[in-house]
Amino acid sequence: MSLVAEAFVSQIAAAEPWPENATLYQQLKGEQILLSDNAASLAVQAFLQMCNLPIKVVCRANAEYMSPSGKVPFIHVGNQVVSELGPIVQFVKAKGHSLSDGLDEVQKAEMKAYMELVNNMLLTAELYLQWCDEATVGEITHARYGSPYPWPLNHILAYQKQWEIKRKMKAIGWGKKTLDQVLEDVDQCCQALSQRLGTQPYFFNKQPTELDALVFGHLYTILTTQLTNDELSEKVKNYSNLLAFCRRIEQHYFEDRGKDRLS
Amino acid sequence: MGHGGGVTSPTSLIGACVCSEKGDGEKQLQSPPMERPLETLGVWKRLTGTGESKAVVSEVGVKKPGKRKGTPGTGAEDRGTGQEPTTRLWNPTYARFTGAPLKVHKISNPWRSPSGTLPALRTSHGEVISVPHKIITHLRKEKYNADYDLSARQGADTLAFMSLLEEKLLPVLVHTFWIDTKNYVEVTRKWYAEAMPFPLNFFLPGRMQRQYMERLQLLSGEHRPEDEEELEKELYREARECLTLLSQRLGTQKFFFGDAPASLDAFVFSYLALLLQAKLPNGKLQAHLRGLHNLCAYCTHILSLYFPWDGAEVPPPRHTPAGPETEEEPYGRRNQILSVLAGLAAMVGYALLSGIVSIQRATPARAPSTRALGMAEEDEEE
Repeated sequence: MSLVAEAFVSQIAAAEPWPENATLYQQLKGEQILLSDNAASLAVQAFLQMCNLPIKVVCRANAEYMSPSGKVPFIHVGNQVVSELGPIVQFVKAKGHSLSDGLDEVQKAEMKAYMELVNNMLLTAELYLQWCDEATVGEITHARYGSPYPWPLNHILAYQKQWEIKRKMKAIGWGKKTLDQVLEDVDQCCQALSQRLGTQPYFFNKQPTELDALVFGHLYTILTTQLTNDELSEKVKNYSNLLAFCRRIEQHYFEDRGKDRLS
Repeated sequence: MGHGGGVTSPTSLIGACVCSEKGDGEKQLQSPPMERPLETLGVWKRLTGTGESKAVVSEVGVKKPGKRKGTPGTGAEDRGTGQEPTTRLWNPTYARFTGAPLKVHKISNPWRSPSGTLPALRTSHGEVISVPHKIITHLRKEKYNADYDLSARQGADTLAFMSLLEEKLLPVLVHTFWIDTKNYVEVTRKWYAEAMPFPLNFFLPGRMQRQYMERLQLLSGEHRPEDEEELEKELYREARECLTLLSQRLGTQKFFFGDAPASLDAFVFSYLALLLQAKLPNGKLQAHLRGLHNLCAYCTHILSLYFPWDGAEVPPPRHTPAGPETEEEPYGRRNQILSVLAGLAAMVGYALLSGIVSIQRATPARAPSTRALGMAEEDEEE
């Protein structure tokens, strides 16, 4: 968004309080949604829970196409539509809710850096696994991605998406990587997160921030998604403090609120 | 020798040379390569920016196979290209920090490097490593580790900040040098065209630019419907934010993790040095960076500590213009002769093929008539 448009939107955003009927759109949970999209969606849900803002999750098969930026999830609040965690965080901040106000400048810098790390490594690894690893693609991704559509559309869309993702991987230099290298990167990333978390309850001590939401989204999805092999989740399971962290957030923000169990 | 199709390599211009682990870095840096042709092993790498390249070359006395005229000493040097414009500076900076003995050979032709791509590191065991991260890993294995004293958490921070820089700053650097029209035409393309050997300089820069443009578009795919300006503004805004974050993280410290430099410092320095030193006509990001005083001081500090030739090297090229030029003479002359020969061959070939000139093996007696016949034929043709 251009600077002017952004300022405009934040002004409008600030004018209205958070409505009761805000909705979050994602793909169909049971049959369609993929690893990376599920992680992103969960991260946004966790963030909104942490801010104490009510949100309703709606599953639509064409969520990806409805979204203004082409990525899920996106939220529909009042008469505005905002997609992806970054813009959503800013939007929520414009409405007066923020999790990172209590941080000083250095901590904010670190938080941004770690969020980039997660996006750079974990998200890309998830995309790689689901679109560039032949076994997973054949068994899981193609079937799931095209499931709401009739033949031959399901195949066409799946191949198109795969081609697009492969191009992107090549552009960032991941095209030549093997699965083992990708898993090693995931391990490095988890190690960094684990070291940063240490024994604290959240990344910045007592209060959760958007970084916690993002990390939770990705790690929880990795831990609970059934793939062709378990290597990815094994990598995460090596770090007990990360497991405890996921469990803690799940208990505190999801189970306690009486929401349905996350799938 | 493989040229990858992607942005990663064939067009990169980095070459560097690494000495084996003899231990005394300084001595090795000064001994000419001729003395130990087989022991010292080559990383063909050309350092970027900051005049370090020139300095090393003049010290080592390495012959530059490419053209390397004395630059006007502005400190803005020819820059190697490649996937990461900054890794060219990152690797030797890291090596400097750790004291690893590194000899740098500069070549401008990626096909001459041992692995076909640049940068490439040939170790004492003869294996060739081409990926920048792996080069650093190798240096670490050889016990040249700048991160030894870091705590686990600082190591994690390093990884995080590296990701941040790669995500936010790198696209902008690529954009500044390659996509921004003014910069590209006036500066980048000229640098590469001057440094590359003869046939490549016509099409390689254009090809590199297309690759970078494609890459940038892929990375920010959702902006494609909007125009270039939006994308540019967004990129620059993120980069400015990133620089401000770096500045905040650095604070008043000398290095990012206290008093000793670490790999993160090498990494950040390679980005910042590029930005600061390049004399670009369109320098919005530079202006912002210059406004962040602690980062500028940080850069100059590292420069003065680890690349001390930078100040001193400016006079030598001026005082000894004959030196580099005489070295270039044979290559320049050779290229000239080759091009003249090629032109002559083309002309003669065309003449023969089109019949303007025909070679006839005729007996002397019959020569006049056949020649007359030959000419008659030509007249008819024409």
